[in-house]
Amino acid sequence: MSDSSAKSGMTIHLKIWRQARSAAQGRFVDYTVSGIQQEMSLLEMLDILNEDLVRKGEEAIEFDSDCREGICGTCGMVVSGVAHGKHAGTTTCEIRMRQYKDGDTITIEPFRAGPFPIIKDLVVGREAFDRIQRKGGFVSTNVGSAPDGNAILVSKLAADDAMDAATCIGCGACVAACPNASASLFVSAKISQLAWLPQGGPERGRRALAMIAQMDAEGFGDCSNHGECEAVCPKQISIQNIAKMRREYVKAAWTGADKSRSSGGD
Amino acid sequence: MSSFGSVAWSSVGKKVITGLTGFMLIGFVAVHLLGNLTLFIGPHAFNGYAHFLETAVHGWLIYAFEVGLIVIFAFHVVAAVTVAVADKMAARKQGYKYARNAGGRSRKTLASRSMIISGAVLAFFVIAHIFLFKFADHEQTAEGVKNLYKTVVGTFQNSVGFTAFTVVAMVLLGMHLRHGFWSAFQSLGWTNDRWLPILTRAALVISIVLAIGFILLPIWLYLNGDPNAMPGGH
Amino acid sequence: MTTGNRVLDAKIPGGPLADKWDRHEMENPLVAPGGNRRKLTVIVVGTGLAGGGAAATLGELGYNVLNFCIQDTPRRAHSVAAQGGINAAKNYQNDGDSVQRLFYDTIKGGDYRSREANVYRLAQLSTGIIDQSVAMGVPFAREYGGALSNRSFGGVQVSRTFYARGQTGQQLLLGVYSALVRQIEAGTVKMFPRHEMLDLVVVDGRARGIIARELTTGEIKRFAADAVVLATGGYSPVFYLSTNAVNCNATAIWRAHRRGALFSNPCYTQIHPTAVPQMGDYQSKLTLMSESLRNDGRVWVPKKPGDKRRPNEIPESDRDYYLERRYPAFGNLVPRDIAARAAKVESDLGKSAYFSPQSVYLDFAEAIGRLGKGVVGDRYGNLFDMYREIIGDSPYDTPMMIYPAPHYTMGGLWVDYNLQGTIEGLFVAGEANFSDHGANRLGASALMQGLADGYFVVPRVVASYLANAKASTVKADHDGFKAVEDESRTHIQRLLAIKGKRTVRDMHWELGRTMWDKVGMARNAGGLKEAIAEIGKLRESFWHDLALTGGADDLNKQLEQANRLCDYLELGELMARDALMREESCGGHFREEHQTPEGEALRDDANFAFVSAWEYTGPGREPVMHKEPLAFENVELKTRSYK
Repeated sequence: MSDSSAKSGMTIHLKIWRQARSAAQGRFVDYTVSGIQQEMSLLEMLDILNEDLVRKGEEAIEFDSDCREGICGTCGMVVSGVAHGKHAGTTTCEIRMRQYKDGDTITIEPFRAGPFPIIKDLVVGREAFDRIQRKGGFVSTNVGSAPDGNAILVSKLAADDAMDAATCIGCGACVAACPNASASLFVSAKISQLAWLPQGGPERGRRALAMIAQMDAEGFGDCSNHGECEAVCPKQISIQNIAKMRREYVKAAWTGADKSRSSGGD
Repeated sequence: MSSFGSVAWSSVGKKVITGLTGFMLIGFVAVHLLGNLTLFIGPHAFNGYAHFLETAVHGWLIYAFEVGLIVIFAFHVVAAVTVAVADKMAARKQGYKYARNAGGRSRKTLASRSMIISGAVLAFFVIAHIFLFKFADHEQTAEGVKNLYKTVVGTFQNSVGFTAFTVVAMVLLGMHLRHGFWSAFQSLGWTNDRWLPILTRAALVISIVLAIGFILLPIWLYLNGDPNAMPGGH
Repeated sequence: MTTGNRVLDAKIPGGPLADKWDRHEMENPLVAPGGNRRKLTVIVVGTGLAGGGAAATLGELGYNVLNFCIQDTPRRAHSVAAQGGINAAKNYQNDGDSVQRLFYDTIKGGDYRSREANVYRLAQLSTGIIDQSVAMGVPFAREYGGALSNRSFGGVQVSRTFYARGQTGQQLLLGVYSALVRQIEAGTVKMFPRHEMLDLVVVDGRARGIIARELTTGEIKRFAADAVVLATGGYSPVFYLSTNAVNCNATAIWRAHRRGALFSNPCYTQIHPTAVPQMGDYQSKLTLMSESLRNDGRVWVPKKPGDKRRPNEIPESDRDYYLERRYPAFGNLVPRDIAARAAKVESDLGKSAYFSPQSVYLDFAEAIGRLGKGVVGDRYGNLFDMYREIIGDSPYDTPMMIYPAPHYTMGGLWVDYNLQGTIEGLFVAGEANFSDHGANRLGASALMQGLADGYFVVPRVVASYLANAKASTVKADHDGFKAVEDESRTHIQRLLAIKGKRTVRDMHWELGRTMWDKVGMARNAGGLKEAIAEIGKLRESFWHDLALTGGADDLNKQLEQANRLCDYLELGELMARDALMREESCGGHFREEHQTPEGEALRDDANFAFVSAWEYTGPGREPVMHKEPLAFENVELKTRSYK
């Protein structure tokens, strides 16, 4: 591998949040990297920076990433003030350096929210999402109990709405971007996906009540309808799901967790 | 599964409360504006309107309304303050050093971010104008009704400061409704992708109409009003 | 090379092919529900379609399940990245599909190097997967009438692929995850996210547990169980650059291999023909452009070697649509292995896109002319956007540039019909085993195998193993655990103590280059021998030159990667040895010495219709190969032809 500093390319200044562990005091550290190519991704630039740091005997900057093509939901940083960066509909790993020019300064912070504790540097814990899902983000059907796939007909429109909600990759950008650190978009995507489908019908009431109760217990903020979540969502999930979640909740609160005899759709 | 209280005071419950009370307050504000427009007509119309309100159903109507309004205001304020101040601060103790609006499809605006401030100023204005108008020493007109017209017009004519404050408060009312109107629909779950853009545009129109209506009055009264205009005459 | 003589009994049930699985289920003993099952612990490593599906289903059945993943949540396992779809022999389209046809297509697609009984069972179970996924709320694409929609895929003649936009993998994985969280809440499955398996604990010849490291704290822990299921995916990142996620690794299966599990067909790797070409040595992965693009795109290179003109400046007469020329019957829709190799043939002749010597054009001008920009945009718009973001050109205006990239590995730990490896009590599912795809996997079949293994096969076969084995008395305080835990800890400390000058990425890159150049799309004896020597040298240098910072007691991803690279440095060599041994060309394994005059793969069924199963004999020592002969009783071995 050639030495990155020897190549031509952009010089980029970075202000990156470093924090040794959850309880430690964090701070911004300035770095400068050169030889940055337009085709590089932001994370590849961090890879190069990390190699330089390791060669110098310094600790690498920890950040989460896995698929590097915008589907696994592992990566997530606030890049120059916006969760997943300024381009709509993309994840942090999809940010290409062609968005920047020579001499630019980029600040990188972790997703910040009480229920997302910082583990180290830019890595945060998002187990709160799993705990919410455990309360009802499923259809209670054991393997073996399913009827033929086409025995359950679903209107294409409902299936499309369910799919729109189901595209959520669970990255947590909605929480990170929300001025209140609310998880409403995430939770609503899960609740409305199953509320659109007949399969989710029998449990829709208890699902809405239980998942929202857990969302609140985790300490996420409430929603003020700013819509920042939708703007940063890499899958552009609409806040109409939040409206639907509220309908589900009110209905369930009104009729009781299991009294709804409706079988899906709206 | 869960008590009524915990459901009603959940994150969603608080939004529903804020939205429902918000709708009621918008309705009140609209009716209030319509009533206030009688000021343009003259003292007779305005005083008559006030007299009707105070004496309908042997005076019980206004009490019922006042109690109702106080309760609605209280729920609106407590729920909104919990959402936008207490819960918000608890949910993110360490804020961002650099944060920008995402833009694009975001509905975050100066209006949406300043709901608490605009709300607080409005609350202050509501209290102030009640003290200045409702609890003032009123003269009686020749017909023996309270000359509220003179109180109101006199207050604006004698105070540039209060007139200016009213204008500012009404601008903030417009901003509050700019976000609050469509947001109430969203909070109650009465939206979807088709209606969201329509409602946000409707919010803009409604907030401008209401704000302009409420702003024109004090300005007009300040410039043209005659507190001593004879009731019945014009 | 040493050939061993171990008899590998695949334990294939008797009777006609179509009845084997049913008979097997009937003959297998069961564990009664309730307390008996709760007392039995099963470790499942991995939370993808196979691992997560198995963990959830075993939990539903009432076993005590410990489930591990390296991700922060089980929902991010690499199954999430699969785009195109999942095959199932539903015959909803009434186009002549059947279990028999799916079986046949898979055997043929695998170039007759897979085990008939396993593949038949896979085809049989495929239909139940769709039913189960629908019941769980997986939002498959639908028609206006409300029925499920299908698309065609991967050069077969029926429409049997179910899909959910371009993210079928994510949707199926979320189905698995939903079943999993339900069991976690119910207390039957205990989830261990951010835990990496470091070793397998074998006591008295049986798999009794694992050693795992909690990645956030560095704590090394013991977990005991009655059976261990590995569903940890494939090993494409041995090439460094692949379409796999950057954390995909072979550590779990390789450490099990070192403990005695035989490793089969390591040289069978799938190189996907349509990925964004490699751009620079800074790159961390290659981005897949869906196979569906070949439905409307035409692949070409300039006729003249070294032609560096921009594609729009090259007239029709100077272009060679080589797939259409060489394979008139299938044209641009030939299977993956053929399309990939053809691109290499052209680029080796110096014919390539202007961008780099390893790139060819995928041109949509004809499709845009025929269908209009709108229709093409509807079909491929988001892929085009993704491409433009990376390369900077719009495929609407100028041909896309693509090149093959490592994508999937058909090889893996040897398993019998019960998915049990050569260590008793060790089961291997999904991409981690070798069993179903032979030498080449068809598109939309990986998801099918993952879920068939996870939902249906593993729960059944593990149950019957447990019924026979009775509850284990070997607990985590057994000396066997202590010894392995100590080894794991020493290994981590050794890595940190090297204090050399080269980064993990730097050395992984070097391994990848050797693998790609010499153990990649086309292989020859000379190159393979060089690769073995180069990898050996690199392995030695690794233990002297590795630079690591940070410690072992908190999150240290450089350390994690170094730990995984150790295993790739051994696995890479085994791949080269397997490729060198296999003196034939089949599926994803192409030996340049064995090709037809037209340059097509030349199989040698007389001598190589077997599964290789390699035995680890110690560090630095030559492995021993055992053979499982493949018997084809239901299909006739033919030369694949797509001309």
